[in-house]
Amino acid sequence: MSASKPKTELASRASLLERALIPCLLAACAITLFLSCLLGSTPLPPDRVLAALFGGADVGDRLVVWSIRLPRALTAFLVGAALGLSGAALQGLLRNPLAEPGVLGVSASASLAATFSIFYGLVALSPWALPLAAIIGALAATALLALAAIRTQSVITLILIGVGLSSFAGALMSLMMNLAPNPFSLADMINWMLGSVANRSFNDIGFAAPFLIAGAAILLLTRRGLSALTLGEEAASGIGVNLRNQRIFTVLGAGLATGASVALAGAIGFVGIVAPHVIRPFTRHDPARSLIPSALFAGLILMLADILVRILPSQSELKLGVVAALIGAPAFVWIAMQRRAAHD
Amino acid sequence: MTSLRISDLTLHAKQTTLVDGASTQLNAGELVVLLGPNGAGKTSLIRGALGLVQPTSGRSEIDGQAVSSLSPTERAQRVSYLPQIRPLAWPNRVSDVVALGRFSHGATIGRLSDADQAAVDAAISACDLTHLKDRSADTLSGGELARMHCARAFAANAPLLVADEPIAALDPRHQFRILDLIKTYVDQGGGALLVLHDIDLAARHASRLIWMKDGRIVADGTVEKTLNAERLAEVYGVSATVSESGIIMQGAL
Repeated sequence: MSASKPKTELASRASLLERALIPCLLAACAITLFLSCLLGSTPLPPDRVLAALFGGADVGDRLVVWSIRLPRALTAFLVGAALGLSGAALQGLLRNPLAEPGVLGVSASASLAATFSIFYGLVALSPWALPLAAIIGALAATALLALAAIRTQSVITLILIGVGLSSFAGALMSLMMNLAPNPFSLADMINWMLGSVANRSFNDIGFAAPFLIAGAAILLLTRRGLSALTLGEEAASGIGVNLRNQRIFTVLGAGLATGASVALAGAIGFVGIVAPHVIRPFTRHDPARSLIPSALFAGLILMLADILVRILPSQSELKLGVVAALIGAPAFVWIAMQRRAAHD
Repeated sequence: MTSLRISDLTLHAKQTTLVDGASTQLNAGELVVLLGPNGAGKTSLIRGALGLVQPTSGRSEIDGQAVSSLSPTERAQRVSYLPQIRPLAWPNRVSDVVALGRFSHGATIGRLSDADQAAVDAAISACDLTHLKDRSADTLSGGELARMHCARAFAANAPLLVADEPIAALDPRHQFRILDLIKTYVDQGGGALLVLHDIDLAARHASRLIWMKDGRIVADGTVEKTLNAERLAEVYGVSATVSESGIIMQGAL
């Protein structure tokens, strides 16, 4: 009996770590959100930030905190969370650690629609034109994928459709940049394609929120099937997963959440791959249990990256998407190289 | 008593006929082995019977209810299906994989109810996995993996079990161990349909044999009635002698 004791202790410590994961991430996110309000071109001391947050302090401080820093940090968090959640869910569905919204062409289609609205000057008509376009683009790609998911049994087919969508959207975006009527709209398009959370307001967040919440709700409600897909599709349907519905809901949820994130910040890649990859060992490699921690962790990464962007001394501010790609792309290659061929 | 009954089941993929007018049944308390050469339509028959593919014509019923009218969860509660073993997508823990067997009962792994946990523990100890339950599944040997998947199937506590080549690529000892586990399940009142390629093992364990060739069921009955040299020649195209002590294959015809 005594020989088994250390083992039980080890197991309970492991489950303690699993249970502490979400509270730890939440605390880290809250601290980082507060840090985001302190740091910037003019650093504010903590007491002035606290005063501004709770309605005290002078008008200037309140403006900086409530109109500039807080919405910006919150946007970074929401965009990261949406991408991390979508990435973790798509990786579970496609049983591939390299899947993310970009793989299915949803990000590219949303960016294409956003670029389209800039090219045709729709953005001048209404401030809502661009976010709305991004969400329509994401939903169009999602609808196409959902249709394909009904018809095909194969996940590889879905990925290939995504690759095709991405390439086509990329080509059309290049075409629009090529034909850009003036340098200003070209600069606008480039800004959008690089991805940034600068100058976002609570209005912007409010517009994207319904889609983000709907997408996240769909993904969280249908996550149980993702655990079952660990066994492969045949065995998963054997234990009672409705494969067709699972595909449709995961693709739809990821599409809505990703569309909302592109509407907020443009195209930001790789967080959706990196965050779930780091989180997975802490959730016993269960795709369903990795969703919420992946979302929190991806939100944390983007908030930190955005702080970095703001405090780095540079001529023009670095774009968040550029920084995310600089960190994320090498990580992507590393994860891909770790993969054993036997798994496919 | 639960039974799975198919009648006149026909299955097409594009122009090819995979299963042609197959009728048979699986009852609780019997161990039926489905035999036939590669491409005879064994896996297609199983998938059609379970409603995982839509048959061109014919019916499949569990306890008189059409499989197509059952939801995937309802079906999984009645029949445990063990397809040919594929590698897991992630390096999950053995106990978590076995817990997936409770999916049709609404179990969420990591937060199992007492009933689910009891079923999982029972399946783990029945399949002799207790010392491996905290291991990562990608560190298991082939025999241990096969036992893990058996435990997953048993954890569902379904009255019927359908397994597609559950002992493929295992050494003789592990083949016997898996078949013993399935025999115990049948002795306790379950009904099992297995696809096997080892005719000798099938003859030793089965209460009934179903022989398939070119999408058709060519024979269906007890070992004594259906296993003979002529049938082996007809179905497998091999010359063999069948005696009390076993089957000796002499070569391809």
